[in-house]
This record gives sequence, structure tokens and C-alpha cells, in this order.
Amino acid sequence: MLRTENLQIRRGPKRVLTDITLEVRPGEVLGVLGPNGAGKSTLLAALCGELAPTEGQVLLDEDALSQWKGAERAQRLAVLPQTSTLDFAFRVEEVVGMGRLPHQTGTVRDAEIICAALEAADVGHLAGRSYLALSGGERQRVHLARVLAQLWPGQNGQTLLLDEPTSMLDPLHQHTTLKAIRAFADRGAAVLIILHDLNLAARYCDRLLLLEDGYPRALDSPQVVLQPQSLKDVFGLDVLVQPHPELGHPVIIAR
Amino acid sequence: MRTLVKPRPLFIGLSALCLIAIWLSLALGPVSLPLLDTLRAALRLIGVPINGDGLEQAELILGQIRLPRTLLGLAVGGVLALSGVAMQGLFRNPLADPGLVGVSSGASLGAAIAIVGGSAFGGLPDAFGPYLLSICAFLGGLGVTALVYRLGRRNGQTSVAVMLLAGIALTALAGSTVGLFTYLADDATLRTLTFWNLGSLNGASYARLWPLLFVTVAVSLWLPRRASALNALLLGESEANHLGINVEGLKRELVFCTALGVGAAVAAAGMIGFVGLVVPHLVRLLAGPDHRVLLPASVLAGAALLLFADLIARLALAPAEMPIGIVTAFLGAPFFLYLLLRGRH
Amino acid sequence: MRLSTRLIMLCAGFMISHVSLADELPQRWVSAGGALSEWVSALGAESKLVGVDTTSQHPESLKSLPSIGYQRQLSAEGILSLKPDVLIGTEEMGPPPVLAQIRNAGVPVEMFSAEADLPTLEGTLAHLGRLLGDEAKAAQVFKAYQQQLEALQQQVKQAQAQHTSPGVLLLLGHAGGKPLVAGKDTAADWLLTQAGGHNLATHTGYKTFSVEALAGLNPDVLVFADRSLTGDEARKALMKENPILASLKAAKDGRIYELDPTLLVGGLGPRLPDSLKQLTAEFYPAAPANP
Repeated sequence: MLRTENLQIRRGPKRVLTDITLEVRPGEVLGVLGPNGAGKSTLLAALCGELAPTEGQVLLDEDALSQWKGAERAQRLAVLPQTSTLDFAFRVEEVVGMGRLPHQTGTVRDAEIICAALEAADVGHLAGRSYLALSGGERQRVHLARVLAQLWPGQNGQTLLLDEPTSMLDPLHQHTTLKAIRAFADRGAAVLIILHDLNLAARYCDRLLLLEDGYPRALDSPQVVLQPQSLKDVFGLDVLVQPHPELGHPVIIAR
Repeated sequence: MRTLVKPRPLFIGLSALCLIAIWLSLALGPVSLPLLDTLRAALRLIGVPINGDGLEQAELILGQIRLPRTLLGLAVGGVLALSGVAMQGLFRNPLADPGLVGVSSGASLGAAIAIVGGSAFGGLPDAFGPYLLSICAFLGGLGVTALVYRLGRRNGQTSVAVMLLAGIALTALAGSTVGLFTYLADDATLRTLTFWNLGSLNGASYARLWPLLFVTVAVSLWLPRRASALNALLLGESEANHLGINVEGLKRELVFCTALGVGAAVAAAGMIGFVGLVVPHLVRLLAGPDHRVLLPASVLAGAALLLFADLIARLALAPAEMPIGIVTAFLGAPFFLYLLLRGRH
Repeated sequence: MRLSTRLIMLCAGFMISHVSLADELPQRWVSAGGALSEWVSALGAESKLVGVDTTSQHPESLKSLPSIGYQRQLSAEGILSLKPDVLIGTEEMGPPPVLAQIRNAGVPVEMFSAEADLPTLEGTLAHLGRLLGDEAKAAQVFKAYQQQLEALQQQVKQAQAQHTSPGVLLLLGHAGGKPLVAGKDTAADWLLTQAGGHNLATHTGYKTFSVEALAGLNPDVLVFADRSLTGDEARKALMKENPILASLKAAKDGRIYELDPTLLVGGLGPRLPDSLKQLTAEFYPAAPANP
């Protein structure tokens, strides 16, 4: 399990993240919310080992993250960044196949997994196409398939970190992507996801972390975290919170 | 999507091309040897006792002139192409060239120091001369690349962008230093410098060949083992890191292999351009960017293409010889422009 | 053995040895040096030349021979394809591995010095004479050359007795542009001094000069050698590319003269005495010309 203890990140004199203690629990989707500059991406960077904590620590299975060797860590922890640049004409399945790099499962099994991951990210129909010929949204889903393939089938002990995986997707694909991520968590993987869209967060996450200027303002279920007063304080937005007529989760409506 | 050539036909085709190039390189030359004589001379070389008049000369031409030259061409072409792939992977850009890390300009500077310095001491001594030149070129290439690499490192991380800028700056510096030497040089030294900068496989001898062959084989065996890691590196450094690859180590290996390979090639044959830039492109057009195919295929393609270029260099103006750098530039530059105009696939 | 038999055998021996010596003399020559090619022609052996380098431009007929390229970048196989019996050239020949390959193929490589002085020339001509099997002719040619030079020296001494030696600069250029000034230790310097001039440049080798330096030296006579143009074209190009020259005393006096640049490389050549004579006439226009 991936967790932090009193994590603090400073850039120069400025405190970017303060006092973050959280666990990314197996079978759970943890959403991270906050306005721009709240520290969401910094938190992700610290959680995947790109940023060293100024204070506190990040632990994976009770060992410091920095102690983990590359391939072993990659078998347990996968990261989907917000943007990816790839300037070479790989085929879609080759890009997804790179996710299998940390594993030694052989080409046959890898091919099965690649196929399944492509389907899960709803890019199965793009197999055989050149990556460079895809639209922004299609490329984003291909990279999602890659990180899904990296942790396939997703089970206890594996953690998936995602930075705004739906930013370039149309409404339909926003939901299909989150459903696939949800399915991953249901199989036992731990998922942390940064989202901008409050309603998507409310629907698909089990818990939410609300960040304000680097401070953890709230860490609890959506019902508890998404209160009009908190949202007004953090986002400066006047909102109404209503339960979803069919599913019951909070729905945020701007006033 | 455009159909790509599958690996097996690609390797068969490239190997055949290589064999044809080797054959032509051994069979053709300013001295016209009848085919039969060439075959008999080849047999004599490996110890089969065949006698016949004119065969001594054929054996000499084949064994002392054409064979070392062919081997040199194979090694130089192969290692330059391989280094091109490595640099295009390191900079994650298909327009990258081994010269970007400064190895070519460093080698040029080293050679200039040897040539001009040597003439200041009354000419390069005959026996020592070629070796001194090669050693200085090699050390120059290695030295400048090491400097570029150091400049790019901060806090244990190597910034490829900084390396690129450092490479440009040091190339400019090396170039102006060579310019200074050019100014200080007399006519004869100037000509030597110019010809060195144009590259040539002329005067290949086994003694000077072994270090390069060794380096080429070593690098050609080592880099393909990192093919999957190189593929991942193209996604981006942090993405590759998240896939469990030691990115810093990989970058160091790429820079080192390039410095070693190109340094040795330039030391043996002078500056030969465009091979590192164009050959990987060609292979990618045929077979896609997967390094597991690209790396070994580029070695074969580079070796074959350089031998073909050398054929032109040797025969076009016979009995004189054109510097091979001119041939590769004449062939490479228009092709490269064509690639740019054609747009990306 | 009887005397007559011995005599016959002795004569036969001489003749055979002469014949076999002639067999051993190289018949097919490849020359990698302009001055050497000229001397071979001057010694009457031009027909033996089967290939020459790019600096061998005199006599004109050499230009129709196969070219082996630049003397420092020779191709072993290229030269061997001409089936030579000997390769001659100065110490500037190269690259050394190629020379080794040629030697290994059984073709002797004869090196000559490119120093521009008479003792070297004597050695060169003697060497060539041996290779041609006509040492007498070579010695004769040298003697004549030496006499010519001595006569010229006399002329110069006479002229210098009555007139001051002119300050001279020699410019070596390419289509008029970027001319280099010949300093000490160059063949140009030797030429200028032999012709009775005084080389105003004190540096060694060929260097570019700034325009102020040129103007400051203000030579009486300016000699220029252009690698790509000749005659009026060369003169015009020189003045066009370097307008400062128009302000020099030499220009105003109309004392700018042309010199063939091939005379400046590879050691003393056969055409030198004529050029020297011309230079001396140009340096001392008032002195009576020697018939």
C-alpha cells in the first residue's frame, strides 16, 4: 500500500504541500480536488517518487519509496501523467506494450493483456493505427491503456496514480474511462486520481482529498467533503449540493 | 496506416544488401581485376595454394588495399548509424545527429591540434603520424562530449535540453578554435586539415582498423540489449522512470557509446557526415521506430550504404579519389530535405 | 681462356649489363609533384609519364594525362591501376599508409626534397638522371641552369650598383580575394630576393595582412600570384577585391606585376630563370636589359 506520513514539500521559502498524511487503500478510488496551485500535481509527483519530500516520507509497502528498485516498483506502481509527448510513429499496441516492460510475462501473455487493456480504455478499434495519427483524446486513452496494462489485471498491492485522465475527453469517454478505472479498483487495486470536475469526482470516488494552498482541508467521503461552505471557501464558487436522483451521490450545481 | 516491412524480410534484405556491398567493394576498384583473378586471390589469402601470374598483385590489392578498406567502411558506417539511433533516442527527436553532443567537433579539434601542432614541430613523423592524428581526434571527441555531459548534469540529473545547448556552444567554440588554427596554418597544413574534414577511407590498414572494429562490435552488441528501454525513453524521461527504467544510467550509456563509437570512427576515417542522421530515418520509414529492429537494422544499413558511397568515391574520379564525406553529403542532404518536405508519418 | 674470347665476353658482358640496366630503369612514371613533372619533361622523358597529380600543370600536355589527385591524398589502387614502375614525389606526398601500400606492391617510391635552393636542385636532377639512366644529361641541364642563374645574379648586382633595391611584397590570392602575403622562408621570398628585390614582409610563411599594414609598408613593387585567374582578369579581380591597393605607391607607379603561382611550390623548376629575368627587369626598369 502507498501512503504518506506528514509529507511536506517546500520550494524555496514557499510551502507547496504541508502535513499530508494519507493512505491510498486497495479497492478504493481516492480523488484529489483543489483549485489551480493547490498542490495536486506536486502531491502526485511526491507519491510517485519524482519529488523528494522536504519533510515526512512516502512509503510503499512500509519501505521508503526511494529505496525501491525500478522494475519492482514499476510492477506495483503506475503513473499516468497529464500530457505525454511521443514524436515517433509507433503503433497503438506497441505504445501499450511498453507498459509490460517491468514484467517478464512473455509475448503471448503480454499480447493478451495488451488486448484487454485496449478494450478497457475503449481504444480496441484503434489497434494497428499509428500513434501520431490519433487525436488528443485518443492518445490520452492509449496512454491509459498503457498504465492499465502495466498493472493488469489490477489487484491488491498495486497502485495507480492518474493526473486528470479525462481532461481531453468528450463526455461519453469521460465516463467510460472512469468506469474502467473504477473496475480496476473493484478488482483490488488502489487508485488515486486528480480531477477537476467535481461531479465526476463525486460519482466515481470513494473518498476525496480537498487541497487548499497545500493544506489538506478535508479527507473523507464525497458526502462529507462536498459541502457548499467548504467549496465556497476553497474554490470561491457559490454552489448547491443535491443528491443524484438515481445514484444518490452528491451533485454540485453552480449558482 | 502505411504497411511496414516485417523484421525478418527486413533483415534478410539488409544482410543481402550488405553482402552485395562487400562483394562490390572487394571486386571493383581503379585496378580492374578479372573476376576469376579476384576469386583466386581471395582463396590465396585464406591459404589455399594457387599459382598464376598476376595473382601476387591481385592478392596484394585484395588483401592489403581493398579488404581493410571494406572492413573500415563496414565498421564506420555501422557505428555512425548506430550512434545516430542512440542520439535520436536520447534527444527524443528524429532530427538528432551524433554531432549534437559535440563528439564530431571535438574530434575535429583534436585532429587540428595534431595537424597544426605536428607541423609546428616540423611535420608529423612518418611512422607515428597517422596514429597521433587518430589518437588526438579520438581524445578530442571524447573530451568535448564528456564536457557536454558534465555541463548537462545537475543534482544527479542530466538535462537533455542543457546538453543540447552545451553541445551547440562547444561545437561553435571548437569550430572557432579550428578556425584559428586554420589561420595560423601554412598552405600544406591547411590542405591536410581540409581533407581530414572531408573524410576518407583511403589508406586503411589493419593496424589502425582493430581499435575501431573492437569498438564497433562492442557497441553493436551492447546497445540492442537496451532496445526496449530506449523505446520507453521515447515516451519521456519521467514516463520511462515510472516504467522502472534507470533513466540516468541509460542516458549515460547512450552518451558514452556515441562518444566512443563516433570518436573511434572519426579518428579512423575523418569526418563523414549524414550517415548518423539519414540511415536511422531510412530504416524507420521501412520498419517503424521499434528499437529492437531499428538498432541492428541500422548497423547493417549504415555499413552497406557507406560501402556504396565509398565505391562512388573511389571510382568516380579514378585514378584520383573523392573524399567520402563529399559523397555522403551529396547523397544525404537532398534525401534529408526530401524527408522533411514529405512530412511526418 | 684465350684473350679474344675474354674480350668478347667482356664486351658482351658490358652490353648485357647495359641492356639489363635499361630493363631495370623505370619506363612508366607517376609523378606527384608539379616541379618534378616539369623537370622530367625538361630532361626529355615526358613520354615516360603515365599519371600526374593536380599540381603538375606544366607543360600543358601533362593536363591530358590521368590525374592521381592531390599529392597529399593519393589513392594506392588508383596509382597501381596505371601500372607504374616508379612513383616520384616530394616529401609532401601522402598519406604515408598509401605510400607503404604502393611500396608493398613492388613499386618503388622515390622521394625528393622540395627545398627551394640550388644544392637541393642538383641532388634532385642527379637522382632523376639516375632513374632515367642519363646522368650526363641531368648534370648538363643543371649546369646550364646554374649558369643562367649566375648570369642573372650578375645582372642584379650590376643593377643594384646603380639603383636601390626596391621594396617588394608578394600577394598570393584566389580570384583576387583574401590575398596572403609571402614572408620569409617561402619560395616566393627566395624568388624575390634572387631577382634583386627586398621583401618587406618579415614574418614567416604566408599570412593575411590588415589593410593598414599593407598601406604602411607601401612597397615600390607589388607582385601578385592568383590561383584561379590569369592576366588582366586576375589583375582586375585583385584591385576590385582590395581597393586599398589602389592607394599604394606601386599602384600609382603602375608597378604591379603578375607571377605564375605554380612557381611557388615544389622546389625550383625549369621555368624559374625566365620568370626571374622578367622580375629583375620589372624591379630595375632603368637598368639595361641583358640580351
